[in-house]
Amino acid sequence: MRALCWNGVNKVEVENVPDPTILNDRDAIVQISSTAICGSDLHLVDGYVPTMKKGDVLGHEFMGEVVEVGKGVSNLEVGDRVVVPFPIACGACNACERQLFSLCENSNPNARLAEKLFGHPTAGIFGYSHLTGGFAGGQSEFARVPFADVGPIVIENGFSDEQVLFLSDIFPTGYMGAEMCDIQGGEVIAIWGAGPVGQFAAASARMLGAERVILIDRFEYRLAIAEQHTGAETLNYEEVDSVPEALKELTGGRGPDACIDAVGMESHFHGPLYAYDRMKQAARMETDRPYALREAIMSCRNGGIVSVVGVYGGFVDKFPMGALMNRGISIRTGQCHVQRYLRPLFERIENGEIDPSFVVTHRLPLDDAPKGYELFKNKEDDCLKVVLTP
Amino acid sequence: MATHSIRTRDKDSLAVFLGWFSVGLGTAQLLAPKALCKVVGASGEGTSRTLMRLMGARELTQGIGILTRPRPTNWLWARVAGDGLDLSLLGVVAARNRTKRTAFAIANVLAVTAPDVFESLHLSRKQGEPREGMRVRKAVTINRGREEVERAWANAQELRERVLEADATVSFEEAPGDRGTELAVEFTEQPPAGDLGKTALKLSGRDFATQLADDLRRFKQLVETGEVVRSDSTPDGHLLAGHLKQRPAQPLEEVVR
Repeated sequence: MRALCWNGVNKVEVENVPDPTILNDRDAIVQISSTAICGSDLHLVDGYVPTMKKGDVLGHEFMGEVVEVGKGVSNLEVGDRVVVPFPIACGACNACERQLFSLCENSNPNARLAEKLFGHPTAGIFGYSHLTGGFAGGQSEFARVPFADVGPIVIENGFSDEQVLFLSDIFPTGYMGAEMCDIQGGEVIAIWGAGPVGQFAAASARMLGAERVILIDRFEYRLAIAEQHTGAETLNYEEVDSVPEALKELTGGRGPDACIDAVGMESHFHGPLYAYDRMKQAARMETDRPYALREAIMSCRNGGIVSVVGVYGGFVDKFPMGALMNRGISIRTGQCHVQRYLRPLFERIENGEIDPSFVVTHRLPLDDAPKGYELFKNKEDDCLKVVLTP
Repeated sequence: MATHSIRTRDKDSLAVFLGWFSVGLGTAQLLAPKALCKVVGASGEGTSRTLMRLMGARELTQGIGILTRPRPTNWLWARVAGDGLDLSLLGVVAARNRTKRTAFAIANVLAVTAPDVFESLHLSRKQGEPREGMRVRKAVTINRGREEVERAWANAQELRERVLEADATVSFEEAPGDRGTELAVEFTEQPPAGDLGKTALKLSGRDFATQLADDLRRFKQLVETGEVVRSDSTPDGHLLAGHLKQRPAQPLEEVVR
């Protein structure tokens, strides 16, 4: 089959690889109808996540048709149309029982690697380095889905791929980012990053009852999409001297009640501190550039919440622990427990509360995936989200 | 996976560090005497080269002694004596030719003499039979009732035999807060040739502690999910030894089930 392979830093190519087969009884094979490029794929391509190997098939946002099931899968049938969540979860361990699916204790066959880096291992993830199991990803024609009796959601009624595809990752991820803000009604929420996750976090914060949502980015086209579709106000950080100061003035001096970091380890900023972080990162003295996270903490109101859904891989520098501790700020974070959100969020789509397809700007055949990566990474041609069709 | 080592021996991590330090320095002195003569400001020809080699042999012997003995008190004192010898030789070099390099070398020897004396005194205070080995505890929580876990354990014949062979004890306890059953295996780690052997086994992934950690993880997977999870990069399921030589994460050509 055709599949997008990681062949080194900044080098992705579509190649012929063997078709996947059933390896465990609870597997299913899915013929992929749509698959997307995620912002976190860029961290892999840019070489900031360790344990990548040449030939790794990327992609963790995909959907399609079940073409084969293992003998341990009774809830799916050949021909079912399914969306597959990006974390792989067994459904039986302590973590899964408490709905912490991205922390599944059984789905990562490389648990010892992850344990060395993170202290405790995390769940397996499709196409997302060997640290998360070394599973082939879904930017391909077919994918093997382990624990297929737990993860995939069957889509029966007539929704288009683009309306339901993002249930696999970015819609639930943005939603969880907003949910972690403990919105009771009437809050002001600030969100760093108007990429797809930031867009869904903004839309979700509004759905959950936030009174104002302020989305921060520097790309006008992204801010314009947010204004049109999410009900957020926007702040272009290149037009202000200091984001924390601007947010203070926009919130009557209090600061946002909660801040969401939807940027992660490769944040961008104009100024000497950006050069400092780039240099340290290039010299591998710090793995992650946490500029958005620093700003989120400094901006948040006293006693507020900082919710982190942007991806980090290792260690950060100049972390404002003093501000966090003395001002009683809570940090909440995690890879999204997608399985927990599939049904409730699909219901919101069914009810017409949201149509996630508003983030799609580019549709390409799988063979043009490398071009899709270029567009997305360099924000060329007003690119926000690329959907690939095998 | 919790690994809890309880030190039941006299040697602590400082002694082990000094042992490896001796092995490293001694090997360098033996293999590259000329380069090291230059580092300390000596000529690198004739006698000084031979002396450097001799000192290297001494260092290496001390290092191996420290690493292999359960309570290497005398070997640590030998290091202190060796520091004295090194300092006097460097004094001779300095008397002939005052260079910054020699001064730097003297400062370095003085810096390592302090922990040598400290550790020698520490070990000298130990009494009675020297104690060897480490008590190692590996534990895993399985999200099932105690009876079910015990039954599964009774059926895991291969694993049970391996644990018996290693003279390990197995315990089952209900985890707090209704989180299933804690399965713990405890054994005394006593590798041949002390810390040298331990490191060799660890590097090859063949030490019992590593294998046991893998086995317990796979046992948990089997009890909780009914299968050992396989991925494209790790088709045989979890094994630390396999982590080092992974396939790329793309579907396998030939599948052996």
